[in-house]
Amino acid sequence: MDSEDDMHDANDVESLEDFYSGDTAASDDDERDFDFAKSDDSDDETFHPQRNYTILSEDDILQLQEEDITKISTVLSISRIQASILLRHYNWSVSKVHDAWFADEESVRKAVGLLEKPVVDPMLNAVEVTCGICFETYPRYRMSAASCGHPFCCSCWTGYISTSINDGPGCLMLRCPKPSCGAAVGQDMINTLASEEDKQKYSRYLLRSYIEDNKKTKWCPAPGCEYAVDFVMGSASFDVCCNCSYNFCWNCTEEAHRPVDCGTVAMWILKNSAESENMNWILANSKPCPKCKRPIEKNQGCMHITCTPPCKFEFCWLCLGAWSDHGERTGGFYACNRYETAKQEGAYDEAERRREMAKNSLERYTHYYERWATNQASRQKALSDLQKMQTEHLEKLSNMQSTPESQLKFITDAWLQIVECRRVLKWTYAYGYYLPENEHAKRQFFEYLQGEAESGLERLHQCAEKELQVFLDAAGPSKDFNEFRTKLAGLTSVTRNYFENLVRALENGLSDVDGHGACSRTQSSKSSGSKSKGGRGKGATSRYESTQWSCKHCTYVNVRSTTECEVCRQRR
Amino acid sequence: MQASRARLFKEYKEVQREKAVDPDIQLVCDDSNIFKWTALIKGPSETPYEGGVFQLAFAIPEQYPLLPPQVRFLTKIFHPNVHFKTGEICLDILKNAWSPAWTLQSVCRAIIALMAHPEPDSPLNCDSGNLLRSGDVRGFRSMASMYTRLAAMPKKG
Ligand SMILES: [Zn+2]
Ligand SMILES: [Zn+2]
Ligand SMILES: [Zn+2]
Ligand SMILES: [Zn+2]
Ligand SMILES: [Zn+2]
Ligand SMILES: [Zn+2]
Ligand SMILES: [Zn+2]
Ligand SMILES: [Zn+2]
Repeated sequence: MDSEDDMHDANDVESLEDFYSGDTAASDDDERDFDFAKSDDSDDETFHPQRNYTILSEDDILQLQEEDITKISTVLSISRIQASILLRHYNWSVSKVHDAWFADEESVRKAVGLLEKPVVDPMLNAVEVTCGICFETYPRYRMSAASCGHPFCCSCWTGYISTSINDGPGCLMLRCPKPSCGAAVGQDMINTLASEEDKQKYSRYLLRSYIEDNKKTKWCPAPGCEYAVDFVMGSASFDVCCNCSYNFCWNCTEEAHRPVDCGTVAMWILKNSAESENMNWILANSKPCPKCKRPIEKNQGCMHITCTPPCKFEFCWLCLGAWSDHGERTGGFYACNRYETAKQEGAYDEAERRREMAKNSLERYTHYYERWATNQASRQKALSDLQKMQTEHLEKLSNMQSTPESQLKFITDAWLQIVECRRVLKWTYAYGYYLPENEHAKRQFFEYLQGEAESGLERLHQCAEKELQVFLDAAGPSKDFNEFRTKLAGLTSVTRNYFENLVRALENGLSDVDGHGACSRTQSSKSSGSKSKGGRGKGATSRYESTQWSCKHCTYVNVRSTTECEVCRQRR
Repeated sequence: MQASRARLFKEYKEVQREKAVDPDIQLVCDDSNIFKWTALIKGPSETPYEGGVFQLAFAIPEQYPLLPPQVRFLTKIFHPNVHFKTGEICLDILKNAWSPAWTLQSVCRAIIALMAHPEPDSPLNCDSGNLLRSGDVRGFRSMASMYTRLAAMPKKG
């Protein structure tokens, strides 16, 4: 790995901050300017809002369940078994049980099947009783009954309970087998009459019902994860981070997707599945080197690829362009996010024109999808790198640099930040796909912000991946290590701030932007006065809007004179 | 398997003993298979099924009585809760409301009750259900009694 080349020209954090905040001269006389670095400390509370949820382990759930049962059992003066039955009927809502019980105890008892005294007096019966299921006659002591007193033999009870448990969670509402009796069968009977295996299944259902029937709790959707989440309703953010480290959206239970809203995520996922045939080739993680054509496998997280010797060509994984070309044209030195609809010039016959447009529409989607998917893959890679870091590298590094592992936390922090940024960046591509083509100013501003975010993240990712490798490969302690620490920690903090601001700006729908602000920003720092810039920006926007419209079904950009989309034929 | 056989045998003996008690139901066990039964039931009086005799077929699962028997009409019947072609019956106690305390005899009684009190809101026979739901009781009764005459009564002559 050629780390000298990778560092490029900005080695210290100071110059990076300049890079992030952009053209400071312009921001001085333009109030609407987005100066991300500036707003860092001003409103710290909004960056770290109080957690509006609790992660529950199985033990926590059992404990909460027990507490609720105790509450009901104490207040209503009923047994714990009865309290549990009641709570299950009222979806584990203590307040609903209270309300219903004190409004009309008798009808609650009837509906739930909690009898105050047996309908059949066991003492009145003879020593021998006939079981209502197998019709065999047994001595009294071999029979069991629910609170109603209807006797059935133990083996019939076992079969009855087992059939119900193996039929699903409905077993939690089990009743006496006698038709029209309705007396509830509680966990006490399950525990004395069911097999070990069935008892476990029953407890499982009971635990699950506490989470699934309760409106304010859900299971973590990560496969194999057994944590649940207790969410404070009405909270501003739906983002939940489970103890298993999976981030998901409380509202739609998809993977966390700020700054994009749930509706857009659903649309994007649907779109992806519809296009998945076309997209298969993109997912292949090997591409030919643009120079020597040998297949290159991307095995590192960042997009800066260096071909193997002797070629050593440095190129961008996303567009296969030379890395050195990545400047203004692609949205920043480290960035490659800008999509330009192919210009259509010259005369086509109608069929060819339609074909071309369909291709452009797919290409546009492909552009966003590929970047979305690549960031997703990078995120997965970063996650596994993080794990490897924690399980082996940190210890090795700690010994080699004679530094306690606790002082290497900055490396873990950097990787956690990379994982989070890859997630955000990924969703900005879905955001970009649905940002209307004719909102020219917003698009420009969006691409600028995204480009900055991308290059900042690439910088951090390179530092955490490639520069760290030097110290991992080194033979002994290096005096540069402290410098590296300062740089990586600085990059992490700057990147964190930038992404937090980016998320907020996108969540606000880029509402602060108008033709004025965005164009003054993107039309480069070389312009002299902000007033003249603003004027130009506005002009450009309205000119753009008057000549094109973007289809809300397929997003194809149509010429203004058409009333139906030229690609999908939907009306404007 | 053993338990279901024992239970069916008890039902069989009960049927032999009770024959005279319920003259509307005649349950018959298959000669060679205790898991196959048929029943003849009389159409309840003051219904369009009055005077008809309807044959039911029972297929009994090995987990009986923990699981319900499968029952269908072998005799054609025009009834909102009976499939006109297959004879399949929509009755809650044969599905989720089954209790192992029910017997073949009590299932027959429940089916007779269903014949007297159709549930037009969960129809398996849409024509018949629609007639009842639209309030055309006369239309329903004439169709039902026509099929009773055609299918459930001894042919004259
Ligand atoms: Zn029994
Ligand atoms: Zn009972
Ligand atoms: Zn989890
Ligand atoms: Zn969501
Ligand atoms: Zn090459
Ligand atoms: Zn590129
Ligand atoms: Zn369209
Ligand atoms: Zn379209």
